[in-house]
Amino acid sequence: MSRTLLLIVVILIILPAFISDFWLNQILTRSIILGIAALSLTFLTTYLGVVSFAQITLAGVAGYTIAYFSPNTTGLGIELPWLFAVALALLFSTLAGAFVGAIAKKSVGIYSIMITLAISMAFFYFTRQNYSIFNGWTGFSGITAPVAFGVSLEDSLVFYYATLLSATAAGYLVVKFTSSPLGLAVQGVKDAARRVRAIGIPTTPVIIAAYAFSGFIAGMSGVLNVWQQERISSFSVGLGPTIDLLIIAVIGGMRHPLGAFIGAITYVLIDTFVIDLFSRDRFNMIIGLVLLFIVMAAPQGILGSFLSAQKRIRKYDNNAIKRKIKNDCEI
Amino acid sequence: MKLFFIVFLNGLTLASLYFITACGFTLIFGLMRTVNMAHGVLLLLGAYIGYEVVEMTGFWVLGIIAGGLSCALVGAFLQAFILGRYQGDELRQTLITIAISIILADFLLWAWGGLTYQISLPEMLQGGIRLPLLNVGYSVVRLTLIGMAIVVGVLLWLLIAKTKLGIIIRAGVDDREMLQALGFEIKKIFIIVFAMGAALAGMAGVIFGSALSISPGTDIQFLLSSLVVVIVGGMGSVGGAALGALLIGLAEQYGLAYAPTYGVVFTFLIMVTVLAFRPQGILGRAEQ
Amino acid sequence: MPLTDGSASNQRVALNLKGVTRRFGSFVAVDNLNMTIKTGERRAILGSNGAGKTTLFNLITGDFPLSEGSIEIEGVESSTLPTHKRIQAGLRRTYQHALLFDSLSVRDTLLLAVVGIHNKWPLFYPLKKNSKYHEKAEALAKVAGLSSKMDVLVGALSHGQKRQLEIGIALSGDPKIVLFDEPAAGLSPAERPVLTELLLSLPKKLSVILIEHDMDIALETSNIVSVMHNGKHLLEGEPEEVVHSDIVREIYVGKRQ
Ligand SMILES: Nc1ncnc2c1ncn2[C@@H]1O[C@H](COP(=O)(O)OP(=O)(O)OP(=O)(O)O)[C@@H](O)[C@H]1O
Ligand SMILES: [Mg+2]
Repeated sequence: MSRTLLLIVVILIILPAFISDFWLNQILTRSIILGIAALSLTFLTTYLGVVSFAQITLAGVAGYTIAYFSPNTTGLGIELPWLFAVALALLFSTLAGAFVGAIAKKSVGIYSIMITLAISMAFFYFTRQNYSIFNGWTGFSGITAPVAFGVSLEDSLVFYYATLLSATAAGYLVVKFTSSPLGLAVQGVKDAARRVRAIGIPTTPVIIAAYAFSGFIAGMSGVLNVWQQERISSFSVGLGPTIDLLIIAVIGGMRHPLGAFIGAITYVLIDTFVIDLFSRDRFNMIIGLVLLFIVMAAPQGILGSFLSAQKRIRKYDNNAIKRKIKNDCEI
Repeated sequence: MKLFFIVFLNGLTLASLYFITACGFTLIFGLMRTVNMAHGVLLLLGAYIGYEVVEMTGFWVLGIIAGGLSCALVGAFLQAFILGRYQGDELRQTLITIAISIILADFLLWAWGGLTYQISLPEMLQGGIRLPLLNVGYSVVRLTLIGMAIVVGVLLWLLIAKTKLGIIIRAGVDDREMLQALGFEIKKIFIIVFAMGAALAGMAGVIFGSALSISPGTDIQFLLSSLVVVIVGGMGSVGGAALGALLIGLAEQYGLAYAPTYGVVFTFLIMVTVLAFRPQGILGRAEQ
Repeated sequence: MPLTDGSASNQRVALNLKGVTRRFGSFVAVDNLNMTIKTGERRAILGSNGAGKTTLFNLITGDFPLSEGSIEIEGVESSTLPTHKRIQAGLRRTYQHALLFDSLSVRDTLLLAVVGIHNKWPLFYPLKKNSKYHEKAEALAKVAGLSSKMDVLVGALSHGQKRQLEIGIALSGDPKIVLFDEPAAGLSPAERPVLTELLLSLPKKLSVILIEHDMDIALETSNIVSVMHNGKHLLEGEPEEVVHSDIVREIYVGKRQ
């Protein structure tokens, strides 16, 4: 798998040389940003065993922080150097993640869905009602990506590479985290929380840490998203994007960090092209049907189905080899 | 002081709506552990059908019945042909109901457009009456609504406490394996209960469309309120739905009246407080 | 008063249970139970199905809260401490029905047990491949006889191997009291002597409580036997004496050949 990953990254690095600006911005960059957000969800689902609807909220916390502390056309907020703004954004999204975890710490399965959904909708309505920080339902606009270390992130190629770098970092962080003691404890909580306590580890901080970590990852996506979109409003943290993220995670599959990105690109491609085959107005119908189909026919998602098919093929190969050896021996 | 009481009545009205909506949701959840995310869109469907029937026949009660029945049919279909196949796999069922709600909501948007509909009320429910003591006018339909919530509550209680189906439901909430072991036709019961829950959503839709109005987005609003109401009250408990609906309905209205910018914060705080002290909800039973 | 080496029997008390009671609704699963476990003691608990033995373990570890009574671990009142604090104080246990991390490998499971005990679980970056914690995990695997299975997922282990892993986990760190809940259940006749050996080879200063239906293992590995029945601590005494008492014969009628 790691060789495949390396290959994918290499392809993604050289790809911009062959594609139009539209593809670069609207397909690739957008997919990767969505993929990072979806990764924060699949991380929680795969390793902690909860489905969180609050990831868009966490990304939104980071996005709003950037908007508030960057030059924007709303006249609201305080301008900070971009590095500070980013650091604050990630800090706040991590803390918000911890907060969500503290509320949902006793809930798994469908309960976690309901509670995180309620949290995210409370945040949505709050952003619409609050004008002093969130500027109501209009939100912030006119935010531009900063000039970082001498290069402007407004340049689409530079921004693409920044996004790719962030995604790689996010994937790396997830892989490292999951093999750290805390990450193992997170997986332990998923399998048998009682046993985790019986080896001397309190489960509450472990759960909160998992949510906080997912908040950090979601925050990365939130920062990039607000730079790409150049605006953020209550609609960015509404039910629509929340469900979309779930759809992305389900389409891609939750067993491997890569699934999030496969789901994201599939979603973006449907959103951009397939939809034109039908009617743009019926996007929801199509995406709903895709979701229904995947949930019913391929619950492991595209990547999961691919992996298990691969396994099956390999098993088949192994059996063939065994048979061959057996035959050879018998002769 | 007057404002306080008016807000109280408004809170009760809202609570009544929330209750009627949430008890369908909680009934389904209690027996089958299915989180029906299509509950809101069923409400919207019921409201649209009710609107058409009332426009056609002029009978409001017929509208309510039609709204309830059509949703019952859709609900029964969903449980019989789609959800029932994944009984026990709650997460998958939840995802399926999300997909269905997306599809159905889009279909409704296509069929009825983005307009706002108001279902016309029978004459006797129109206008207002002067309330004794307070000496203020209050709309009759809102008072009727409170009455209806009480009727629905009592009927549900009777159904659950006194009928055979109710006994089965109660037993099933406690121990679903046992039900199966006793040889009840669990599939059929699930379909009936799902249809009942959906019917309650449909009827709530017609009532809401009469008391206020409906438009795309109403579905989400009510799905969310149902979620919060059952999280607070206790999942699977009709009494909990009533209590949760009261708390949330009153909190929202008082929030709106006294701190309009932070109305949602109250709801949220109630939910968080309840979760912190009783994760299973006020009247819910702890999961094993 | 803390009990010290100077006490009459010249032995410290590892675990002291006073009036321990647990009710489930109106049903009393553990009923006013008193028991004192001295340091280094090997105690077997006998009792028929449903006697309340596992519930007693759950109370000692804090998996369930007490209805009444008190529990002292190493002289420290612990009945309201959360489970992980009691574990940090030196208590360990195995579960009757293996309760393990199916999606982790044996290595990661043992590693987690080790970092848990050494309070290194909050680390959020991977440990170095040759850290002392890895060494400790390897050592545990060796004790539990799982050295060759380090990279196997726990979910894929056989029943017997899962039981071995339970034991491995229970011996992590520097345990003072270990509770074994029917470690021999489901083991083949060939595997039983291995288990007996393991129990006998435990460090002398370790206190052990062993729930075991297999009399041979119980008798061979213990120096004191308790009998529980209907949640009550009926009697305790020398192994031979208890096993041949009328009460035990009555309770276990038909259980022994
Ligand atoms: N969580 C619980 N809720 C309700 N009753 C329980 C619970 N745990 C145990 N019990 C009851 O307490 C009694 C004692 O159970 P326990 O598991 O302690 O028995 P045991 O002595 O370990 O039996 P066995 O030899 O079968 O393992 C049983 O009747 C059981 O049904
Ligand atoms: Mg037992």
